[in-house]
Amino acid sequence: MIEPRPQRILLVDDDSNLLVVLSDQLRDDGYEVATARDGGEALRRLEAGWPDLILLDLMMPRVDGLALARQIKAEADLPIIVLSAIDTADSKARLLDEVAEDYVSKPYHYPELRARIQRVLRRLGDRIPRQSLVLGPNLTLDLHRRAATVGGREVALTPTESRLLHALAANLGDIVATETLLARGWADTEEAEPSYVWVSMRRLRQKIEVDPDRPVHLLTVRGSGYRLVASPEDA
Amino acid sequence: MPERRTGPDATPHLRERMAAGRAVEPSPAATTPRGTTGATVDTTAGGSSGGSGLSLRMLLTAGMIVSAVLPVAVYGGIVLAAGLSADSKLMVPLLIAAVVAGSLLGLLAAALAVAGLTTRLRLITAAVERVAAGESSPPIHLTGDDELARLAESHNRVAAEAGRRNRELGALLGAIAGYNPADGLAVLTARAESDACAIYGLIDCRLRLADPATVPIEETIPGDPRPVRAAVRAGTETLGLVTGHLPATRAWERADQDLLDLFASEIGVALRNAELFGQIEDQNVRLLELDAAKDEFLRGVSHNLQTPLTSIRAYVDQLRAASDEAARDRRLGIVAEQADRLTRLVRQLLTVTRLEAGALRPEVEVIAVVPRVRRAWEALNASGVGFELRDEGGGWLAVADPDQLDQVLWALLDNAVKYGGREGKVEVTVHVDDTVKRIYVTIADHGPGVSEADSERLFTRFARGAGQASGDGTGLGLYVSRELLRTIGGALWLEPAREGRGAAFTVSLPGEPPGDES
Repeated sequence: MIEPRPQRILLVDDDSNLLVVLSDQLRDDGYEVATARDGGEALRRLEAGWPDLILLDLMMPRVDGLALARQIKAEADLPIIVLSAIDTADSKARLLDEVAEDYVSKPYHYPELRARIQRVLRRLGDRIPRQSLVLGPNLTLDLHRRAATVGGREVALTPTESRLLHALAANLGDIVATETLLARGWADTEEAEPSYVWVSMRRLRQKIEVDPDRPVHLLTVRGSGYRLVASPEDA
Repeated sequence: MPERRTGPDATPHLRERMAAGRAVEPSPAATTPRGTTGATVDTTAGGSSGGSGLSLRMLLTAGMIVSAVLPVAVYGGIVLAAGLSADSKLMVPLLIAAVVAGSLLGLLAAALAVAGLTTRLRLITAAVERVAAGESSPPIHLTGDDELARLAESHNRVAAEAGRRNRELGALLGAIAGYNPADGLAVLTARAESDACAIYGLIDCRLRLADPATVPIEETIPGDPRPVRAAVRAGTETLGLVTGHLPATRAWERADQDLLDLFASEIGVALRNAELFGQIEDQNVRLLELDAAKDEFLRGVSHNLQTPLTSIRAYVDQLRAASDEAARDRRLGIVAEQADRLTRLVRQLLTVTRLEAGALRPEVEVIAVVPRVRRAWEALNASGVGFELRDEGGGWLAVADPDQLDQVLWALLDNAVKYGGREGKVEVTVHVDDTVKRIYVTIADHGPGVSEADSERLFTRFARGAGQASGDGTGLGLYVSRELLRTIGGALWLEPAREGRGAAFTVSLPGEPPGDES
């Protein structure tokens, strides 16, 4: 029997107190943890081997978190969670959409952070294009910048909507179960119920379908889940 | 009805008059009764030509008759005499002599008449020139009732009226100089009314701050007191109207109306100044209040941030010494809870600055409200306070920014604990109105409630519940909550007071039915 390989996390933060505490917490939960105190050190660690996930602070000396995240993303589609005291309403946090999978503000609650890490790691193995995903004449998804172009008009997607579409797009044309979507859209600590998926899908259809009553891309599969399909058909 | 100047050009015109008026302060001479230093000309001094009872016309007529008729008469006489003597040789020299003599006589008569005229004309000219130059002119006394005497009379009247208007202008300027914007509108109005009566000799006077069009124009009835009025203006804006009555015998001319208009416009400026002064004073009072609120706020913030830090510090110190496992757990729980409280307060302060900068970008997601209320309540750790959560939401999900909703719920529950009394119970009801697709969360306490007067003030920054010391909060909770909800299409209001409960606040959010379609 092969022991499953522990998932590796690279923790980058200039607060050494936090590095000690957080890596202890993560190790206790079975993760393999490497730490770096600044961008340069993080890049050196990356040369030695890629982790499964990077936990990154935004404000760091020398190479700041955003620049580092961009540099990493330019080389590989590594999932990044930003852990920062800058709150999500900050203009700087906005820039993270293109590079970070998720955002946790400091001070963090460890159970919540762990739930977010687990959610992001669930998508490991999903492969969708980093660039635009054209699903038909009236729908193009740009999930890396949380946007969709519907009938020539751009609409913004919420982080949850973007995650759900990501999971669906990675299985384009195939059924994705409601439970899977629930696990991919929400962290365990959010106590989400299936109705979250139902309502979110309904709202998503309002956003990305030209005629939400006669959807051509986001289809319900009664009793099991949802399908995202490419459709040449003009709605 | 006297003519009223209404054009926008009235004011500059009046300003000129006023400037002229300042230069022509009424001299004491102008106020002295006529006669003391008056240039009196006894017509007899002008020579025989100006005999009493002889008018100018008669004088000139007589002169002309003398100079025209005399030679003819002489000539006629000579012709007659010549005819009788039939001596034509004498005719020519006699004729010439008669013409010369007649002409000389006529010239003499004319010269006499002109000499008297010139003296009197010079007097009148000098007086008219003085008035024209803007000086006061003592009355000219010309005896007799010829045209020149009447001219002098009319000049005297004009000069007297100019003098009176000068005095009115002087009194007006004196009155205006005494108006102080700090006196306030009521005092200024009363003073303006009594000043107008005194200056213009009005029987009564009234200053109304109303649109002049709404006050009907009074008719002038001969024999009755004459109504006068002028619009009170400040710049281009009409503020009101001055009305009053003059004694029936008083004349009222264009220049008098101009003077009243001038007074009215000066009153307008004084009233406007008083109004602005009042506004500035009000603003000063508000600024002082805000300043006091800011100080109070800073004290509150400092207290609110220091309190959790103090207990964290104290419990950590105790933890080092503690050996008992259970006591350690309890203290650790308090440390964590106080740290959370600090985090929330810092977040609330951040939110205020974001709200003011308009930089909030909510991310709305679908969320179940009930578990969030329960978690917010647990985070408060309000031991000893009862909690009842009624879920009538039928599984509906709210559409809101989860972090913001947490902030709102925490602030409202924290208030309910703070103002509901330590023994009180906090009751939360979640219900739905499916016709408008909204979810309502009502959070009620059993405290003294909120007075009618406080109900809106509570939602302003730094506002605190009645009788609450600064240490009890930042005064930002309700303000931040309402503004946060506004950014996501929600609302927050205070429920009307009801028997058996204290304050009750309701959060309203867009909602979605759960409806399974998979």
